[in-house]
Amino acid sequence: MSGKTLTKAEIVDAIYEKTDRNRAEVKGVVESLLGIMKQAIKKDHALLISGFGKFEAYDKKARKGRNPQTDETITLPPRKVVVFRLSRKFRAELNDE
Amino acid sequence: MNKSELIKTLSEETNIPIEEAAMVVNTFVDSMKDALTDGDRVEIRGFGSFKVKDYGGYSGRNPKTGDMVVVEPKRLPFFRAGKELKEFLND
Repeated sequence: MSGKTLTKAEIVDAIYEKTDRNRAEVKGVVESLLGIMKQAIKKDHALLISGFGKFEAYDKKARKGRNPQTDETITLPPRKVVVFRLSRKFRAELNDE
Repeated sequence: MNKSELIKTLSEETNIPIEEAAMVVNTFVDSMKDALTDGDRVEIRGFGSFKVKDYGGYSGRNPKTGDMVVVEPKRLPFFRAGKELKEFLND
């Protein structure tokens, strides 16, 4: 663990190096890509990126919870959550198999 | 949606050639994979973040047969959806 963090700006830079477009255009394309990814997760409930993994949205039922500070019982509404499932190929690469 | 559909949609929506859309998607994915392979965190504002967790090995048993098995140490990435993605999915 090196403690480094890859951010969107660095990804934009990596793409910028490979095109003739200016940085603002590349940033726009990356934002569009993220928008399409979010839409796919919402609409299809799944986004599969081969060699990387799969983002899946699933429904969580409403459940009773408690506010730990006030001890009040509250009903948590049903909601959608996203999980990432790792591809076998990427799992093998991460573990040098 | 899969990766080729993602590339096609990006190409149509942004009016860039399909080869360029493919380069964008591949560079995006490869950058994240490289960072995670190096043990770095990945943080994509508005979408989510990834970090790699290390698990130590242990010896366990096959619950069906009772045989001893050695579970090798492993590294697995974890994804946390960002606030914007969570809100987008739920409204």
